[in-house]
Amino acid sequence: MRNDDASAGTRDGETGHELAALRVSRLSKAFPGIQALREVTFEVRVGEVHGLVGENGAGKSTLAKVISGAYAPDTGTIERSGRKLDLGDPRGHARAGIAMMYQEPTLVPARSALENVLLGRARSRFGFVRRAAARRRFAELADRMGVEIPPGVPAGALPIAKQRLLDVMRALESEGRILIMDEPTASLGPVEREHLYDVIGKLKASGVSVVYISHDLEEVMSLCDRVSVMRDGRLIATKPAGEWTVEKLVDAMLGHVSVVPTASARRATGREVLRVELSLRGRVRDVSFALHEGEILGLAGLVGSGRTSLLRALAGAESRVEGTFVFDGRERRWPRSITAAVSLGIVLAPENRKTEGLVLSRSAAENVGLARLGAVSTLGVLQRKRLLDHAAEIMRPLAFDVTRLRTKAGTFSGGNQQKLVVGRCLNLAPRVLLLDEPTAGIDVGAKAELLGIVRRLAGEGVATIFASSELEEVVAISDRVLVLADGRQIATLEASECSVEQILRRIFAVTAAA
Amino acid sequence: MSVGGATAFARALERARSTSSRYGTTVLRTYAIVAALVIVVAWVSIQEPSFLSRQNIFNISSEWSAAGIMAVGVTFVILVGGLDLSFAATFSLCAILAAYVGRSHAPILAFAASVGLGLGIGLFNGILVTVAQINSFIATLGMSFALTSVAQILTSNVPYVVEREDFLAFGTGTWHTIPYTGITLVCFFLVGGLILSRTVYGQLIYAVGGNPEASRLGGVRVRTVVASAFVISGLCAGVAGCISASQLGSAQGNIDPDVLFNVITMVILGGTSLAGGFGGMWRTAVGLAIIASIANAFNLLNVDPHYQDIAKGAILIGALALDSMARRLAKES
Repeated sequence: MRNDDASAGTRDGETGHELAALRVSRLSKAFPGIQALREVTFEVRVGEVHGLVGENGAGKSTLAKVISGAYAPDTGTIERSGRKLDLGDPRGHARAGIAMMYQEPTLVPARSALENVLLGRARSRFGFVRRAAARRRFAELADRMGVEIPPGVPAGALPIAKQRLLDVMRALESEGRILIMDEPTASLGPVEREHLYDVIGKLKASGVSVVYISHDLEEVMSLCDRVSVMRDGRLIATKPAGEWTVEKLVDAMLGHVSVVPTASARRATGREVLRVELSLRGRVRDVSFALHEGEILGLAGLVGSGRTSLLRALAGAESRVEGTFVFDGRERRWPRSITAAVSLGIVLAPENRKTEGLVLSRSAAENVGLARLGAVSTLGVLQRKRLLDHAAEIMRPLAFDVTRLRTKAGTFSGGNQQKLVVGRCLNLAPRVLLLDEPTAGIDVGAKAELLGIVRRLAGEGVATIFASSELEEVVAISDRVLVLADGRQIATLEASECSVEQILRRIFAVTAAA
Repeated sequence: MSVGGATAFARALERARSTSSRYGTTVLRTYAIVAALVIVVAWVSIQEPSFLSRQNIFNISSEWSAAGIMAVGVTFVILVGGLDLSFAATFSLCAILAAYVGRSHAPILAFAASVGLGLGIGLFNGILVTVAQINSFIATLGMSFALTSVAQILTSNVPYVVEREDFLAFGTGTWHTIPYTGITLVCFFLVGGLILSRTVYGQLIYAVGGNPEASRLGGVRVRTVVASAFVISGLCAGVAGCISASQLGSAQGNIDPDVLFNVITMVILGGTSLAGGFGGMWRTAVGLAIIASIANAFNLLNVDPHYQDIAKGAILIGALALDSMARRLAKES
């Protein structure tokens, strides 16, 4: 069975034998409790954009990390233009012309954008940094990406999208002949995406091979020459992009037919829970809306449009917010602390699950119970059993494997981590649930599940605000869509009558005028 | 402070404010500590005008030369994300070695031996931390106990005294009334600052301290960089040992019991982050200036030295509280 799968992976590669820029043979890698890669064999041709898709946990990122040298495999070989590589040494792999853009930003937050892009490859003369040369190189790369990032700003002070762009720039800087991109577009807006596609096109034309990992199947099919599908640590199949369809890809990824979210008709919603008008200095101006029980309000806007600031203000995380706040029909002081918001039942699932959503070093159960450990302890002594039962009660309806509640949160896949973040919010019995990019970087299966969960919660009367860069998703799940551009509310649309194109056109009309 | 200086400062503050309103954290943090130094210096020089006299400043530079040079080394270690608690013991042991060799041999040989020992101990620390993968706090704490004990055993509480004139020349001599030790101190800060801010190696120190995993994936030899910081710290402790032995003409097991905390206080007070990756040599220089000014003021004003540590503690906590406030403000605006 295993061998069959491995040979299936190479089936299409035989014709391009001489052209292989990279050949991976029978790679296996196990982590405690998980066989992440099982005899994976595949090859990348010179000047090819090779898509790699699969559910979370299918082994894509592990494969990418083995190719980049971040992990050493248990068995298997990698050949670069016919030469075997010493595995598990990022420096050696980089010297062989392999550059990698990791799924998570791998930046040094306190150092400048410039230094991050040139990290480990600084231009120098007698050991001294050649600043002018470095700046020129940075400007050139920024220009190629069509972005404006001030070189001196600490990378950690930039929004996530810009940080991702720094990662892209760093990958370009290496002038690698093989570029591995793990979810490069996950948190990029449409404009930045176009630039990235453009750059990839140019790289391809100059003979660079790209391994492109993404959950956006449409994107993969339009961008890539060939697409390989991974499932359960195996490489299931490699075919030219033209021979795939979204349905076939999903079938191959899941091994069964998936649930594709469809637009919901506007449901009757309950009484008004929240009505706000607010401004947040420098970031959000004159936004006003009302939210009803059981309603899902989509928040659409480009990266940097003020979505996150708006959600943070509602969650009590912004102390400088100004505006009126009517909750349950009563005007109140604006909640200026998380505790104040939580006591009203307003709960935020933040954008970055790894840094803001979870304590990765603690167990899944503790993460779920974290905000109300008092509920599962007696006289201040935590009752482990009660915590586990309580967490299981919350997580079971989310289709989370409750036998893994004792496992550290950091070891879960993105989709499962996101479920934990949602579970943590549910533990606080939310009346208003704020979801910031809940589906970023999670696979189709998990995404469909998560959207299902959001719907179900709405059905139970929870009022939800759903912010996402993926407009298709926003339109599909929301009852109404609030469109933000440049910190302002430019429209509120009924989801059943609006399309992605309409939203984008409105946004671009504003940004073009600005 | 002159009027021109004041307007330049005001302009810098203004620039800091406008920059921070856009991007944040670092610029405002810069000025809190400088302001603290200005206040301390102004206060002391009002209380005792001779504080800012040429001679007094030279005295301070000489007195704090050894500690300051060690602070340069410790800055490297803290920036790379480690902590060195063994430099004080290394310093004592190196001073003892210098005095021991210096009694019978040429001073240059004595100093070379002392610096060599410092380098060796630094390298050993570096190996403990990077190869044996021991947390640097623990590794250097252990080393500190062991080295202190060795120093006590060697001298049996009787100091090694060196009576050769040429041995004392480095520690007590002057160039146009400027003490050699003060010059050495300034040179260490200049070179250290230049390395951190201008060289590729300096950037790697920051990168590794700021995010070791990102650095490793970026192709940086993380272990080598970390180990090298400990070697630099050892080197600095060795040089400091030479200075102390040559200044005092003697060395013993525990030369300066306060030096460990004084030096770490300088670095932290300057604003260099204990988490690594943020800070700089000029910050340590400002920290040193503050600590040295306070100590000197207490001498000049004849205050019971026991009160000194209260002042030091208050300033350390106050400065860090201010810094943290500045950071919050910068984030919000």
